[in-house]
Amino acid sequence: MKYSHTIFRKYFALAFISARSNFAYFAEVLSRQLFLAVILYILLRLWQQTYSHCGLQQMAGLSLPQMLWYLTATEAIILSSSPISTIMDEEIRSGSLAMQLIRPTPYPLYRLALYLGERALRLLANFFIGSIICFVLVREIPVSVVGILALAMALPLAIILDFLGNFLVGLAAFWLENTSGILFIYSRLTMVLGGMLIPLDLLPAPYSNLAKSLPFASMVYGPARQFVHPCNFELLQFIVLQISWIFVFSIIVWQVYSLALKRVASNGG
Amino acid sequence: MAIKVENLTKQFILNKRDGWRSIKTEVLAVDSINFSVNSGQSLALIGPNGAGKSTTIKMLTGILHPSAGQAKVLGLTPWRERTRLAYQIGAVFGQRSQLWYHLPPEDTFELLSRIYNLDRNQYKEQRNLLIERFDLGPFLKTPVRKLSLGQRMRAEIAASLLHKPRLLFLDEPTIGVDIVARQELRDLIREWNKQDGVTVLITSHDAGDIEHVADRVIVINHGHIVLDDNLSNMRQRYLSSKILSARFHGEHKTVDLHGAKVLQSANYSIEVEIDTSVVTTEKVIKHILELGTIADISIEDPPLEEIIAHIYSQPVTNNDSSTHT
Amino acid sequence: MFFAKILNYIRLAIAYVRLNWLSHIEYRNAFYIEAAGMFLNNVIWLVFWVYFFKAFPTVPTWTSSDVITLWAISAAGWGIAFVIFGNCRFLANIISTGQLDAWMLYPRHLLSHLILGKMKPSAFGDMVFGFAMYLFFVRPDFPHLALFCILTVSVAILFTGFSIVAGSLSFFLGNAESLALHLEFAMICFCTYPAPIFEGRIRWLLYTVLPALFVSYYPIEALRNLSIEQALYAFAGSLAFASIAVYVFYFGLKRYESGNLTVMRG
Repeated sequence: MKYSHTIFRKYFALAFISARSNFAYFAEVLSRQLFLAVILYILLRLWQQTYSHCGLQQMAGLSLPQMLWYLTATEAIILSSSPISTIMDEEIRSGSLAMQLIRPTPYPLYRLALYLGERALRLLANFFIGSIICFVLVREIPVSVVGILALAMALPLAIILDFLGNFLVGLAAFWLENTSGILFIYSRLTMVLGGMLIPLDLLPAPYSNLAKSLPFASMVYGPARQFVHPCNFELLQFIVLQISWIFVFSIIVWQVYSLALKRVASNGG
Repeated sequence: MAIKVENLTKQFILNKRDGWRSIKTEVLAVDSINFSVNSGQSLALIGPNGAGKSTTIKMLTGILHPSAGQAKVLGLTPWRERTRLAYQIGAVFGQRSQLWYHLPPEDTFELLSRIYNLDRNQYKEQRNLLIERFDLGPFLKTPVRKLSLGQRMRAEIAASLLHKPRLLFLDEPTIGVDIVARQELRDLIREWNKQDGVTVLITSHDAGDIEHVADRVIVINHGHIVLDDNLSNMRQRYLSSKILSARFHGEHKTVDLHGAKVLQSANYSIEVEIDTSVVTTEKVIKHILELGTIADISIEDPPLEEIIAHIYSQPVTNNDSSTHT
Repeated sequence: MFFAKILNYIRLAIAYVRLNWLSHIEYRNAFYIEAAGMFLNNVIWLVFWVYFFKAFPTVPTWTSSDVITLWAISAAGWGIAFVIFGNCRFLANIISTGQLDAWMLYPRHLLSHLILGKMKPSAFGDMVFGFAMYLFFVRPDFPHLALFCILTVSVAILFTGFSIVAGSLSFFLGNAESLALHLEFAMICFCTYPAPIFEGRIRWLLYTVLPALFVSYYPIEALRNLSIEQALYAFAGSLAFASIAVYVFYFGLKRYESGNLTVMRG
């Protein structure tokens, strides 16, 4: 009992240090918010035109202000991602991964802790500034306390799932000479199939259901949807889905990681 | 005359952040220095970090504009005629490579011939000459990342000589290079300076570089020239000492030899400063061998910082630059 | 004389592109993976947007072929710009870490020489994507294809200029690396949405600070109507912006030459 407590504290300390060191990059945080403002403005214009040309008050059960708050949430999530696979790529190629392996913390958990700390901070900043920008743009806050709670429940699992995806991309560096190509595709899929620009409900029916059950939806669409349109049943369904995907991804990561470790053992990193 | 510097001064305005306020302070990096260098001379510019060495070099190459004063390099004012000057100077920075890391040196040479608009025949002639003199043949077609640091620096210096510069700037050219390769590099620079008459301006932290490459030394500190002298005087006064360290298998007797000053002495080891103007190194070694059973012995130049500290501790008589012009 | 200078510069540019290319080809697979990744990434985006504008009549005047043309011309222009002038995108870093010094030792015009220094493999993917999409999905006749090719040059000039301005901010703000990066993101964003959705005062911004209309409006109109006039507007905008970029860079360089930037680094 005591042992598990100290372990938890160790990872918490790692996450905390990662968050703090990122706070030093104040200029980066600031310019990201600038970009957030630009993209939210563009999306507002896009959806304004869409609503008016389609002559609709609601799309996918969302009014225009709700739609923009949905997009604020998806953008805040996407823009909080951290370039962990690029870092892993460097670590693997330079052989410094081997150094990480002799530490008393398993490498995946060590990375997870750092990732969570960094991302938590970025998420906070993005949601805070994003909300202000969104409010300035639509002059309405169509978000309930229930929605915020639902977001708070769905977000951590979404981030862990995204971590596992990124970790897999990073591990590809053991086999490929360059992982940035895969990263492009992975992040683009997260955006498109995660519903960053359009709620997945608006895709044609068979695709919509398929997209919603894919892991990408669990990373972006789910939390954002619950944020603006909370529904107990959907939330429950959704969290079960998230946990299942985390389970599946963990197994894959574990298998690939073990394979990779064998390569380290035989090649010396 | 290759370089003539008159009252060259550089003042920086430093913005310090104190919370939300910013405080402006002025820093005098180079304070009205004067010196001149004859064509074909080889000059070492030394001094601690932040002394104003690199600021001076940056002004002489036209990268920085001075706050006051004049400079003529090969008859040009560097900061006004930087591009024209660039055709006639070469530069080697030990910590920054101009060779393309993933490609063989010959590819970089080819590119440089374009950058400097070299005539094809003259370029080929000079390239072949450099390949021969710097012995680049064996690794001319090997990607730079696979070269040893010594080989890389040889190629680096050759690259900076392709356009036949009349003046060569070398900033820490031997940093990180092993002893044998370091000596090779020094010889090559020296040879090029003596045979081809290239004026050389070198900065280094290694006393050996200066001793083997330079004719003349300028010591700079806090933006001032504290010493300007030719190498033989410099050698007599300040470069005459060597540091000998020895480790013994057991207890050892104490050193008792004129010209050998004990710096440190412990149960199994000893460190001695040899004054080579008083006693030969050979004699000291013989003496040390008699003190006990030797396990390990090494002789090194004292670090440059110590030499500079030494300069400060002695009264300086001959620091007037006019004696050299 | 002027002509000889241009020719001389083109020779230098070719030498750089060749070396950049050789340098990447040392790691052949890495290069192809990155370029192909960017290509596929763009395909995913394009499929999404074509679907979007088909499903929702957001911009009634635009057909799918207009959407494809917009993506094709931005990607091709971007690709050309950074296959040749890839070092633009490192400008902020080069300035703030003092690496400009090394470039100043060469007997060439600083800016035009410096920007040749690197190539991004992903830009290759963009370039190929742009031309491929236009050829296969828009199926242009010869005049359209010719105009498209000419206009990609205009777009490339604009992106190069924008990148130089963004990078030059480091002269004034210290390390502006991430600001430059996000400004470029913002620029691409504005460039890849149909111009008609931006009305009103925002247009002034899109003519000046983020000059996206010279990508998403004039070239598209020129290709739609095969209009030389619109094409000339596109070129005029790009060249004007590029000239401003050169001015901003050299204006900032004065601060660098005064040395007060170098001291900031400690």
